[in-house]
Amino acid sequence: MNSTHATPSTAHHAPSPRLMRLGLVASFLLMLIAFGVFALSLRAVESGSDDGTLIEIGARGCQPSRVEVPAGERTFTIVNRSDRAIEWEVIDGVMVLAERENIAPGMRQPLRVDLAPGDYAMTCGLLSNPHGELHVTPNGNAAPARALAAHDFVGARAELRVYTTLQMRKLERASAALAQAINAGDLTAARTAYLQARRIDQRLAMPIGLFGDLDQRLNAPADYYAGREKDPDFGGFPRLAQGLFSAGSTAGLAPVAKQLMADLDVLSRRLAQASVPPAQLANGSARALQTWHDRATDGEMTPLALNDLAGITEGSAKIVTLIDPLLARQAPALQRQLDQALSALQQSLAEAAQPGADGTTSTAESAAPDALQALLDAGAVPAATAQRLLANSEALAKALAAVNHALALSG
Amino acid sequence: MQPLSRWISVSALALMALNAPAQAAVPADALVGPIAEYKLYVLDNLEQLVAHTREFTQAIEQGNLDKAQALYAPTRVYYERIEPIAEMFADLDASIDAREDDYEHGVKDPDFTGFHRLEYGLFKAQSTQGLAPYAKGLMQDVDDLDQRVQGLTFPPSTVVGGAAALMEEVAATKVSGEEDRYSRSDLWDFQANVDGAKEIFELFKPLAAEEDAGFVKRVQGNFDDVEAILADYRVDPQDPKKGFVSYDKVSDADRRALTGPVNVLAEDLSTLRGLLGLN
Repeated sequence: MNSTHATPSTAHHAPSPRLMRLGLVASFLLMLIAFGVFALSLRAVESGSDDGTLIEIGARGCQPSRVEVPAGERTFTIVNRSDRAIEWEVIDGVMVLAERENIAPGMRQPLRVDLAPGDYAMTCGLLSNPHGELHVTPNGNAAPARALAAHDFVGARAELRVYTTLQMRKLERASAALAQAINAGDLTAARTAYLQARRIDQRLAMPIGLFGDLDQRLNAPADYYAGREKDPDFGGFPRLAQGLFSAGSTAGLAPVAKQLMADLDVLSRRLAQASVPPAQLANGSARALQTWHDRATDGEMTPLALNDLAGITEGSAKIVTLIDPLLARQAPALQRQLDQALSALQQSLAEAAQPGADGTTSTAESAAPDALQALLDAGAVPAATAQRLLANSEALAKALAAVNHALALSG
Repeated sequence: MQPLSRWISVSALALMALNAPAQAAVPADALVGPIAEYKLYVLDNLEQLVAHTREFTQAIEQGNLDKAQALYAPTRVYYERIEPIAEMFADLDASIDAREDDYEHGVKDPDFTGFHRLEYGLFKAQSTQGLAPYAKGLMQDVDDLDQRVQGLTFPPSTVVGGAAALMEEVAATKVSGEEDRYSRSDLWDFQANVDGAKEIFELFKPLAAEEDAGFVKRVQGNFDDVEAILADYRVDPQDPKKGFVSYDKVSDADRRALTGPVNVLAEDLSTLRGLLGLN
């Protein structure tokens, strides 16, 4: 390159010193350009085919301070122009979506981020510096959402196991209190303890449902047994409810409570090892709701049934929070439908459990005993409320049942 | 690294990747348990953090300087162990654990709050005067963090990447002694970061060993080296609760000896995500 441009200037018969200088300058410039092209080509290799966005961070903030990129996987190259080590973060609300820490002064670091459309903030060096704005536009010509892989469910399934573990601990404590009250012959305490333990049991309806034998021993109603209430195998929560609320006595319940504790012990050991298949998250919850709905349709809606529904709804709410982020990309319409169905059911339950109360939710995690008592005092659920609960629980069951199809899961 | 040598190494790596046999990724099922276990570990530490912060901030509000000074380091341990998760909440990470260097006006900056603002008051100014609002704020922030983490679905790649993040944190701010410059309790934080990184490593160790047994052995060895040096600086080797001597007492030779294994750990652990197929 150098020589080809040097040749013309030397080939002329009378090269003036001025022309000579010009030629030298020109060849020098061309060399610089060549170097630049070379450097640029290297950078293109480094950042792949993606359009990298260069962000320089100085003592006072990001340059540029407002960036707009289309949705998808984007590369940012952060250059630290300040005199101290810095970090650069993409923040969604208060959550850090991605970050690159400890970028030394003068250094550049790339960061790849998968961005959904929306407005994000960027931290720009000092915490006292103003945040930068990152605006992510919908990507019209982007490929349709990629199908979910097994790894996409790991987070949700792990969180479900944490939830199950923690609720199981609560259930064992509540059941111990229940057994104790029964052994002491304290009917009032036993009824309160029953409502609390049963509510937690129903939160776990989906995971417990994975184990047919234990589910039957803990939760099967009398009419599933040949001898109904009199059947020697009739046990678990339904047997305790029959004694405490129908017969109104703790008599004969001590062995039932003892067996219940033993079954829960087996359950907690199995759940600690259980891997809930992704398809069960929504399907299992839909089944629990549908089962409650079908039973409640057949008979009178008692306060005990309401207590069950409160637990099932709490468990379903957890599942919805796990499924929501997965649905957000694959089927946003179903996500909205699911969220609306859930909040409608929660609203109806709150009104049903606390007649006249101003929307104070009784579906909160901490089931206060007096809320349960209020529920019992209310007696039978008014027909209009019962109709609404039936409609709402079925709507949520149906929305949940549609999830697997939307997520392309089978099973 | 120079652009050219980087380019060469990138191509070399690409060629190696082409030649390497297709690696069986760790099945998704196998990751569920360790990630759930890790959240339970974080929740246990958060419970401790809430309880210790209550005691620490109450000592400040009661003007008990000695007690507050004594509780500063043992309280922070529970935060430092779970930093990969705590850091996910940008606002709380700033208000709980930012250092004065993060603010334009340093210690005078009105936004400078949290542990290190209290450290400045307790150990530099040697007084609880004027610290009550910061103590109250810290308690609120820690309660808030507890609530948020309880409801959080842990992203698997953040969990696995957390091991390297913690060791990078050690390399960047603990070995240099800038984290706890007034209390000189850096070794407490150092050990807590190592604890947190090791917990993640231990949880995924069986999976990592199936992919690369040499990696597991090397990381284990470097953890042992770091912990052996740290153990020399325990106040009472028989009673870990008594913690560590002042960072001023750590010899230059030991500071240098720590740098090596810490950096190698950070580098090695940064490959754990890829090893488990979580990139």
